[in-house]
Amino acid sequence: MKIKRYLALTRAGILESFQYRLAMLVMIAGNLLYLIVVYFFWKAVYASSGSDVVNGMTFSDTLIYLVLATALFNFMEMYTVWEIGRNIQSGKIVLDLLKPMRYRSYLFWSYSGTLATQFVFTFLPTFVIVCIATNGAVPLGVNLLYFAVSVVMAVIINYAVDFMTGTVCLYTESIWGINIMKQVIVLLLSGATIPVAFFPEGMKRAVGYMPFQSIYNTPLTILLNGKPDFTEVLEALGTQAFWCIVLLILSSLFWKVSLRKITVNGG
Amino acid sequence: MKRKGLRFYFRIYRKILAQDLKSKMSYRADFIISTIGMIFTNIAGFVSFWILFRSFPEVNGWGYHEILFLYGFSLISLTPVQCFFDNNWSLRMYVYSGDFIKYCFRPINLFFYYQSEVFDVKGLGQLAFGLGTLIYSWNRIGLPFTPVMILKTVVFLITASLIMIAVMNAAAATCFWITNSFYVMDLALKFKDYARYPITIFSPFFRFIFTFLMPIAFIAYYPSLVILRPDEVPLLSWLSPLFGCVFFWLSYKFWMYGAMKYSGTGS
Repeated sequence: MKIKRYLALTRAGILESFQYRLAMLVMIAGNLLYLIVVYFFWKAVYASSGSDVVNGMTFSDTLIYLVLATALFNFMEMYTVWEIGRNIQSGKIVLDLLKPMRYRSYLFWSYSGTLATQFVFTFLPTFVIVCIATNGAVPLGVNLLYFAVSVVMAVIINYAVDFMTGTVCLYTESIWGINIMKQVIVLLLSGATIPVAFFPEGMKRAVGYMPFQSIYNTPLTILLNGKPDFTEVLEALGTQAFWCIVLLILSSLFWKVSLRKITVNGG
Repeated sequence: MKRKGLRFYFRIYRKILAQDLKSKMSYRADFIISTIGMIFTNIAGFVSFWILFRSFPEVNGWGYHEILFLYGFSLISLTPVQCFFDNNWSLRMYVYSGDFIKYCFRPINLFFYYQSEVFDVKGLGQLAFGLGTLIYSWNRIGLPFTPVMILKTVVFLITASLIMIAVMNAAAATCFWITNSFYVMDLALKFKDYARYPITIFSPFFRFIFTFLMPIAFIAYYPSLVILRPDEVPLLSWLSPLFGCVFFWLSYKFWMYGAMKYSGTGS
């Protein structure tokens, strides 16, 4: 019974995202352009380095990693911070809080429809194209299964981070600044712009203690490893699960405390 | 109607600017957080740059400091579009809600009045970063520091800014035809990240596209060649000031054409 009302939100989201077909087209065009730039840039970088393997990654590894990182980003980006921030400014948040559902779940599930369409229309095609274009450099085996599990946890961690950042808007009423800070930190430290393997030793260790690399680096590293060592994968997934739980609890507590502070102008 | 002179517009701009700064100051927290966010963005850009070039000493014959020069150059040339033309981002909202009509009733140039309404102070932080980078790499490369060189730098920086302004104007003006131009603008904004690479890394086909169809090579590459490689300046570099003016003029005409077509929402 309970799941049914969540799925109703998913369905509405799917229908809604079909309304914005032009936006989707522009986004696909933008991605294509980005992929072209990334391809040529890294090709030049590898060509000038004189060796095929840099920091344990070949050119095709790096390319697959970065292309899929972008695909993951597009699919996971929920604009949660903007949504919460705008709802606070407009006062709509009061109506959402009155719904017979926790606000955090409501927000997540009302976005889940877009998540699903994005997955089918941007992530899957990119994945297939990458598989074909790199001539089977993507290992297709049991790692795909691990990858799927890892991505689900990545979505949860990403959402928890976003939700916490959005909660900060209750205090600051500044959306742009808060959002850009979060985005910059997450994209850099998660390895979405440059694979974590390229980081200097000290930074790599520091990033290892943070939740961000669980969002992009963990799923992508798992995917690229064709002969996964079971304990290694288990360790990576365990770390992700740990962050999932910690961040979910933290974001929930933070929200509860902050909700007392809420001031809505008019609304 | 008598045409108003440059002095008149300059005086009006100062007045509008003062009002805008006053209203910004009333949201002090937002202003401070946004500024910090902007600084974060720039620092993250440098960190990724540094991580990348730790592993690769040069790209396609371009040394570390030369690429850094391109980076600094592009940061400075992006400042005017950030500072003076930021209101383009709100255009789609004004058009959608019908508030845009208020701009149509003023006895001064519509485009000028619209753009002058917002001055984005955050851009100044970017300017500081860009100047620092440019001066540092200038020293490291050992470029001569003569009046002619400085004059060349200034002229070509203005050229590069005009191109970026033109791109953003055109992207914003699409909202007169399509409802949600945000995606178009977001795509156009990404151009600035691609402008930092030497165009020679691309294949001839894309070199053509990035030169004539999407003029991103003019944002840093062609103008900086004049300063960095004075012995091998292609004709396109010398022509870039002309292209800058032409692109800007075209974007202005396109923007005004859209605005003149605008018929309001009837409210």
